[in-house]
Amino acid sequence: MNRILVVGGGPAGHRLAGRLRHHGASGPVKILGAEPSPAYHRPLLSYILSGQADPEALRMPALPGIETHSGAAVTHIDRVRREVHTAESVHGYDVLVLATGARADVPDIRGARGPGVTVLRTVADCARVTGDTVAVLGGGPLGVETAAALAARGTATTLVCAAPHPLYGRLGESASALLTDALRRAGVDVLAGRTVTAREPGRVLLDDGTRVPADTLVLCTGAHPEVRLARAAGLRVRTGIVVDDQLRTSDPRIHAIGDCAEHEGRTVAGIEAAWAQADSLARVLTGQDASAHRTTPAVFRLRTRIAEVACVGAAGAFADPALRRLTLADREGGRYARLAMSGERLVAAVLFGLPEAVAAVGELYRRGQALPSDRLQLLLGGPPRPASTDLDPSEDAVICLCNNVQRRALAKAWRAGARTVTALAAATRATTGCGGCGGDVAELSARWAREMRYDGKRTP
Amino acid sequence: MIGHRLADRLRTLDTSRDWHIVILAEEPHPAYDRSALSAYLTGRTRGDLTLADRDFLADARVELRLATPLARVDRTAHVVVTRGGDRIRYDALVLATGSRPFVPPVPGRDLAHCFAYRTFEDLDAIRRVARPGAQGVVVGGGLLGLEAAYALSRLGVRPHVVETAPHLMPAQLDPGAAEVLHRRATALGLRLHCGTGVAHVHAGPDETVRAVTLGDGTALDVDLVVFAAGIRPRDELAEPLGLACGERGGFLVDALCRTADPRVWAIGECAAVQGRCHGLIAPGYAMADSVAAQLTGREGQSFDRTGDATTLKLLGVHVATFGATVHPGGPRPVEVTFADGIARYAKIFLRPDTGTVLGGILARDTTGSTSPLRSLVGHRPPADLERLLLP
Repeated sequence: MNRILVVGGGPAGHRLAGRLRHHGASGPVKILGAEPSPAYHRPLLSYILSGQADPEALRMPALPGIETHSGAAVTHIDRVRREVHTAESVHGYDVLVLATGARADVPDIRGARGPGVTVLRTVADCARVTGDTVAVLGGGPLGVETAAALAARGTATTLVCAAPHPLYGRLGESASALLTDALRRAGVDVLAGRTVTAREPGRVLLDDGTRVPADTLVLCTGAHPEVRLARAAGLRVRTGIVVDDQLRTSDPRIHAIGDCAEHEGRTVAGIEAAWAQADSLARVLTGQDASAHRTTPAVFRLRTRIAEVACVGAAGAFADPALRRLTLADREGGRYARLAMSGERLVAAVLFGLPEAVAAVGELYRRGQALPSDRLQLLLGGPPRPASTDLDPSEDAVICLCNNVQRRALAKAWRAGARTVTALAAATRATTGCGGCGGDVAELSARWAREMRYDGKRTP
Repeated sequence: MIGHRLADRLRTLDTSRDWHIVILAEEPHPAYDRSALSAYLTGRTRGDLTLADRDFLADARVELRLATPLARVDRTAHVVVTRGGDRIRYDALVLATGSRPFVPPVPGRDLAHCFAYRTFEDLDAIRRVARPGAQGVVVGGGLLGLEAAYALSRLGVRPHVVETAPHLMPAQLDPGAAEVLHRRATALGLRLHCGTGVAHVHAGPDETVRAVTLGDGTALDVDLVVFAAGIRPRDELAEPLGLACGERGGFLVDALCRTADPRVWAIGECAAVQGRCHGLIAPGYAMADSVAAQLTGREGQSFDRTGDATTLKLLGVHVATFGATVHPGGPRPVEVTFADGIARYAKIFLRPDTGTVLGGILARDTTGSTSPLRSLVGHRPPADLERLLLP
């Protein structure tokens, strides 16, 4: 009987185990988690900080029939004997799955490894955020979510980020400026275009000389795939643990999923990608499906109450001149959207303050479906609007703007025998101003002539 | 053009033939289509561009006095005096003196081979100097400047265009629409210098233009300079007539183009309608039509810019604005932009409360029509908005 051993007690390993049972894997499945508690919903850690949820509420459902070990940090993989070692025990395997996640980066700041400083990756990290004043370093999603959560619980919070606004690279200038506004309204002091250079007792020092009071400094400065075990075991590692379309490492008995895995040359952080890989691997390991794992298009959503923010695709698409682009900016209403399209397919989108559009746009993107032709309605919602052809009494349409000649007047002249542009111009003055409507008049004249040919009685 | 329009309109409306129309023209030709001047530079004749047809010239009610500038006006006696000394009595006096080119006060601006771009004479002079291979600079990146630059390029001169604003056509376009024009202009060989002005025009040994220096220090060797940096209303009669002017010049008139004197009107570029001057043809024609109606006992249309629209074909780019495109004071409108590739761009402004269209800006290739756009104003955008803007 195949023994499946999962190293990593996070959401990826948890999902895999659940899906293995779902697909009918009957052999023993064991999870070794380094953290003291079983799997929980890591992306929602900021809910613990804000007090919206306690750690219990984030816990993922127990997995009946799965042997789960918490506080079991793996020290060594023995590929020859197919054994995994912790400080206390040894676990044999037939199939090993590495779901070791990522490790938070600690920037090179004086005092960053001392007291009163923490990264934010685990429930235990949350407990280290204490005091009345907190500085959060990092303008990425985690930094924004953390700062907003701390402000919500009444902590005097400063968010320090290097870019002109938080999430600047991902959202672009306009939407990230709205995000700064929203953070400030929520009580976060946003100090952009700056970074922390030193941790001092009770405060942090910024590169522009500012000192910001901070009982705790929270580092939200990115993460790297946790590859130390894999590397020590001699597996192929680039940025992450390199896997093929079966999510297999360079050792055919060992797989990797989640933040630690590098598929098609890319590592993808986040629970959505991790779950998709867990789903694929469960099918591979149960022989359900020989088809290859395909990276699914991810929809990024900011997990905070201060603003509805979502984006899909690569930000570079908005500068791609080969694409069709749409931007909606409502600075006063706090709404913003931009779309980049290739034909009718969505390539990238940024949405701010448009909750209904987030669901619709996200779904179209995930499925790779064509966008509806009325993009404005997609973004703003509301009932479908009529097309201009239903709306516009075209007889009233002003064709020659210089001389204020309506289509009706041209039609009348045409009926009276003015059958060329010159004749229509003489009769109505249309085209005799700037001449810009010459093409329109020629087009109308030609259309009426065509209609005459097909239907002798019909007149414009 | 606007004076001619008034006269022509009056001929039509004055069915009881009450009016005798005297036109005092400064130039030695009947009115011609100034907006088509570039065509004159590239081959069309004065006759092609004239606005006065045979009927007009033969109409006994019209007395066209060419090359007859006005010297003074006696408003109490209702008499104008020409520079030649002729006295002409009037019941109504309509000032349609137009505008003069604005030439920035830079050293060397009066040198030989510095030109304006407004009259047949200006263009004749340019044509004498603009030989293929000559170097030229056009001062002003607005509508007129780009027209001039394009005409120069057709004559074999690869022109520089200098615009003090950060982008072309700043009065009409936003940066996105200007970008479309910018690329097209560059592709046509125009060499653009935005965000800087001409600082100095230098003379060669023969006292003609040899070079210009720009505000950013760039030095350009050129054989001619065309000033197309905007216009100023020709309101120099205001002071001798004792008529008020707008804050930025022009005869001050009300929405019906009336001055404070009930017998005196002002129309076209010389008129500051409720304080504001208008430099395009459509508003000028609207003013002429309104005054012609008033003179024939009809109700004149109040001049109102809110429904205004311009549509221009320039350098092979269709540039259009409709409705309100600037929104001083009011709540900031919702802005929606559509861009397709690098050559098609449109922006519309929506009222934040009702979502109805306030106006828009468009720059794209010349396929399709822009005439339906004005009817969008005041309505919620139709479902096929994007297709209408960028077909």
